Amino acid sequence: MSDTLLVIEDNEQNRYLMKFLLEKNGFRVEEAQSAIEGIEKALSAKYLAILLDIQLPDMDGYAVARKLRTVEELREIPIIAVTSYAMMGDKEKALDAGCTEYIEKPIDPDSFVGEIKKILMKS
Amino acid sequence: MNHKVMTILHDREIMRYLIMLKMPLLSLSLVMFTLLSFESPFATAGDLPVTVGVYENAPKIFIAETGQPAGIFIDIIEDVAKKEGWTLRYVTGTWSQQLDRLAKGEIDLMPDVAYTAERGKIYAFHQVPVISSWDKVYGRKGSGIQSLLDLNGKRVVVLEKSVQHEAFVNLVNSFGLNTTIILAPDFKKAFEIAARGEADGAIANHYYGAMHAREFGLEDTAVLFNPSALFFAAPKGTHEALLRAIDAHLSELKKDSQSIYYRSLKRWTFEEVQVQLPVWLQILGLVLGVALLMSLLGSFVLKHQVNARTRELQQINQEMEQRIVERTAELAAAMKEAQVADQVKSAFLATMSHELRTPLNSIIGFTGILHQGLAGPLNNEQIKQLGMVQNSAHHLLELINDVLDISKIEAGQLEIVRGTFELRRSLDKVVHLVSPLAEKKGLPIYLHISDAIDKFTGDQRRIEQILINLLNNAIKFTEMGEIRVDCSLPDSKVIISVSDTGIGIKAEDIETIFKPFLQIDTGLSRKYEGTGLGLSITRKLVTMMGGEIDVKSKEGVGSTFSVILPIR
Repeated sequence: MSDTLLVIEDNEQNRYLMKFLLEKNGFRVEEAQSAIEGIEKALSAKYLAILLDIQLPDMDGYAVARKLRTVEELREIPIIAVTSYAMMGDKEKALDAGCTEYIEKPIDPDSFVGEIKKILMKS
Repeated sequence: MNHKVMTILHDREIMRYLIMLKMPLLSLSLVMFTLLSFESPFATAGDLPVTVGVYENAPKIFIAETGQPAGIFIDIIEDVAKKEGWTLRYVTGTWSQQLDRLAKGEIDLMPDVAYTAERGKIYAFHQVPVISSWDKVYGRKGSGIQSLLDLNGKRVVVLEKSVQHEAFVNLVNSFGLNTTIILAPDFKKAFEIAARGEADGAIANHYYGAMHAREFGLEDTAVLFNPSALFFAAPKGTHEALLRAIDAHLSELKKDSQSIYYRSLKRWTFEEVQVQLPVWLQILGLVLGVALLMSLLGSFVLKHQVNARTRELQQINQEMEQRIVERTAELAAAMKEAQVADQVKSAFLATMSHELRTPLNSIIGFTGILHQGLAGPLNNEQIKQLGMVQNSAHHLLELINDVLDISKIEAGQLEIVRGTFELRRSLDKVVHLVSPLAEKKGLPIYLHISDAIDKFTGDQRRIEQILINLLNNAIKFTEMGEIRVDCSLPDSKVIISVSDTGIGIKAEDIETIFKPFLQIDTGLSRKYEGTGLGLSITRKLVTMMGGEIDVKSKEGVGSTFSVILPIR
């Protein structure tokens, strides 16, 4: 089992923030800056989990999640939506699209990695 | 005054009179009539008794339906008697009976007697004729009698022993007509016989005919004959003074157009019979008539005004209705615009809050990383300053979250989730969450939860949000004293109260504190940081949960905010 997480996030600072926190806690991180790049990377290698931003420049995170779930090998992989979308139904939409969990931005650096670990333990 | 004027009212006249003055006078008229009836019309007061024969020859002389004598001759002889001081007595009978009585001297005066040479031998007559008369044939309808020659082969009723009997026989004989003569004792009988069809026509003087022919169904014909002058007749030789007195008064009466003579003629010969009323009754009638007219006129004017006003009101009403329709349409359009504007605003706020969160994510994230020393060791001053950045960033996040909540509520996107949870645990949690803030200010928080409190069904996250808001406010506005949280369960309600010993709220500001972006006293906003949205959101959330929020506060003493939620 790989110890690498895939982070799909277009905002460079947020991508770096997650990478920094995760690597500080012993994970390895692969980055993708767009939905397409994210899907390609997800298909080309095996990851521990995928952290998915919802607002992406080329297509939204829900579509990415739905696309990934159509792939046999990616049926069971945890997909964690990390988003600042906080309107009604956003969480439900994410779960419907195939995400395993939902973490609201802004992330709390004190608890972020703990939440990720908890999700990985469950799956 | 030793004489009373006799007034006789026919039923028909009374009816006209009643109709003329209408119902308000009905009772009065009846009283009048009753009074008049009880007065004896025969009563006269004088020295010389004079007996007058009365027979049926209306309107010249007849017994009225009231049983009293009436007619032109009676009016005149009453007038003469009044002036002469005679006491009149009336004897009724048929024409021939009265002539016999007159001949025998049983009566003193016989009215309505035409002078003939033969009668002149038997009776005494005065000189001035009372009235002139002529006779006329009245034909039954369909009898075909129109002129003299039509009488051939017809049956005609005539008064026995009368001048017209003799004259009529001479008339038909002179024209060689074969007319059957039927005799009747009086004109009434004569008309009745013709009316029954036992004769084709009847003869009467034109006074009687004008008055009665129609009621018997008889028609006027062109057969006129026997012009005659009519007098009072008296027994021969003994009544010269009486007759002279009559002549003298008749001459006087005929000179004065306003005399009883002319009034009587007018009264009895006109179709519209005039009623002679006492002056006071005429005045009364006039007054009442005028009053009635005035009231009718008044009611007409009033009705007219009411109608006019009603029309005006209807018109105003219509205009108002139209205006209301127009205004409603305007309002609907304005409301739609406002709704659209509201949705645009909410969408804008949602987008903005989202966009603000993205940079805030990295600010809070990296501040946290640095503060924790994950990126390397920091000196104390750096830790303190980074702590300040962290606080400000968290405050900014609160602001953004509140704005997002408000916009969600206004866009109708905030959903109340229902789930069962332990209220006691939630209360412990929020108190624990805010206690560091309270400790910093040296404020103890006392939590009291009723034993009845157990599981509660509702939106746990939102209820906790409400309590955090109230507790944060209580701590923020209290410098010394204590904070109390009470939770009780009276009659299927949950009441959670947060009390403080803080600055309190003026009564007039209580409603204001729930308005968004408003903190009472602008001076306060510098002293007490906050979004100004907390209570607005809190009340909206409570309302959405079907509950209410109650505030009791005294300036300088403290405030109690109570959230009352229904149990379902």
